[in-house]
Amino acid sequence: MIKDSLHVRIEDLRKIYQTRRGNIEAIRSVHMGVRPGEFVSILGPSGCGKSTLLMVVGGLLPITEGKIVIDEISVTGPRRDTGVVFQSPVLMPWRSILNNVLFPVETLGLSRREYRPRAVQLLEMTGLSDFMQNYPSELSGGMQQRVAICRALIHNPSLLLMDEPFSALDAITRDNLNQELLRIWHEYQKTVLFVTHSIREAVYLSDRVYVMSPRPAVISQIVEIKLPRPRALSIQETPEFNAYVAELRRAIEG
Amino acid sequence: MAHKLENGQGAKLTGQIWQLALPLSIVAVLVIIWQVSVQTLKIPEAILPTPLKIIDTIILRYELLFQHTWPTTKECLIGFVLAVGVGVGLGILLALSRLFRTGVYPLIVAFQVVPKVALAPLFIVWFGLGTTSRILLAFVIAFFPMVVNTLAGIQSTDPLMIRMARACNASRWQIFWKIEFPNALPYIFSGLKIGITFAVIGIIVAEFVTAQEGLGYLIVFSEGNVDTPLLMAALTILSIVGVILYAVVVGLQKLFIRWDVGQVI
Repeated sequence: MIKDSLHVRIEDLRKIYQTRRGNIEAIRSVHMGVRPGEFVSILGPSGCGKSTLLMVVGGLLPITEGKIVIDEISVTGPRRDTGVVFQSPVLMPWRSILNNVLFPVETLGLSRREYRPRAVQLLEMTGLSDFMQNYPSELSGGMQQRVAICRALIHNPSLLLMDEPFSALDAITRDNLNQELLRIWHEYQKTVLFVTHSIREAVYLSDRVYVMSPRPAVISQIVEIKLPRPRALSIQETPEFNAYVAELRRAIEG
Repeated sequence: MAHKLENGQGAKLTGQIWQLALPLSIVAVLVIIWQVSVQTLKIPEAILPTPLKIIDTIILRYELLFQHTWPTTKECLIGFVLAVGVGVGLGILLALSRLFRTGVYPLIVAFQVVPKVALAPLFIVWFGLGTTSRILLAFVIAFFPMVVNTLAGIQSTDPLMIRMARACNASRWQIFWKIEFPNALPYIFSGLKIGITFAVIGIIVAEFVTAQEGLGYLIVFSEGNVDTPLLMAALTILSIVGVILYAVVVGLQKLFIRWDVGQVI
């Protein structure tokens, strides 16, 4: 593979919604390049269109203008090489945890027998092996979101799209899941596109942070996070960390 | 409550015993009051027989009662099964096709308002006094709640869950079978429970009007002879049949819905 080949390329992306009250330009212009294995955050206030951007990259919303290319193939719809984690776990309450994780295997026409060991391994890695036969209602919100992450990884996608996955959780659970996510990322070497409105979360997790302006959105600033890895939670107390946080806060407010 | 902080099997069993014992005790008390008041106040049998007299009648005339129980139960079940098939099927069609929904749903809602029992004489004119009219009436009454509940159930699916399924490359068909239909099951069963009760009503009204056979016929027949004990015996058997049929539907619900439905019905 060429050294600086991009895994994800977004070129001049524009997104307009058609509503009953007329057209809404959610995204005016976004330009972005992500290399394989990078962890990239998209940061911005609520309603600025960052979730929209993620949905468009995932092929779940149509592009109005511009181009999105993943692994040299244009995005035209949902893809096998992508996994998505949403704001809420949306696990199927009528299925066991294990069968929830195996859902993409069914829809992609893959062999359930072949992927079951991988599902078990993912659940073990996230500390949920005791709950494989339980129903989602028996798990806490944080645990359900971990199941959702396993589900997004079961079919071994190269790209992981995460739409504010931890914003509905309490601060302690959120910290734990941030740490766990980094651990999974190190282990599986995925490219991650992570949407958040938490500045600290973006700095802690990412190699690079894209700051999105309010609607009609553009990328107002890009900040490289040159903190060493692996990152323990305690890195959040260091001056370097907080300098990045301050810089991003200025970018959002300024 | 006797089981505040116990955990596990003990509390569950105590709870179940209470759930059964309490209503039964109340019924027993009411029956005793009934027996005693009729005897003390010397109420004539033609107006209100005692519970003991009714039990006596059931035992003495059980052949007659059983002869008429079977057609009622059979026709009720056939009408109900038809209503489930057509009702749920129509509900699914309405959910899947916007065009169909726009055209047909208003018609269904309009028909809901027509008192279906008033159709009984019309069915007799069209289909005669036999089984067909009665099954059809049970069907027509039971069918509407199934359609409405099935449609509501499918439409209650979380749009985010559908988006998740699309992210997993699910086809439209897979989304229906794996997400929308299981999601609708609690609603469908709710419709089934309403439907079975309505089917029983439909059969009885049909039997009143066709006056050929069945527990409804027996009720009208006894009324004509002022044979109130037989009337109430038939009524008691009918109630038992109704409860059993309902319990069967509840049993099926427990079989198909093993997850915690929470707030949903």
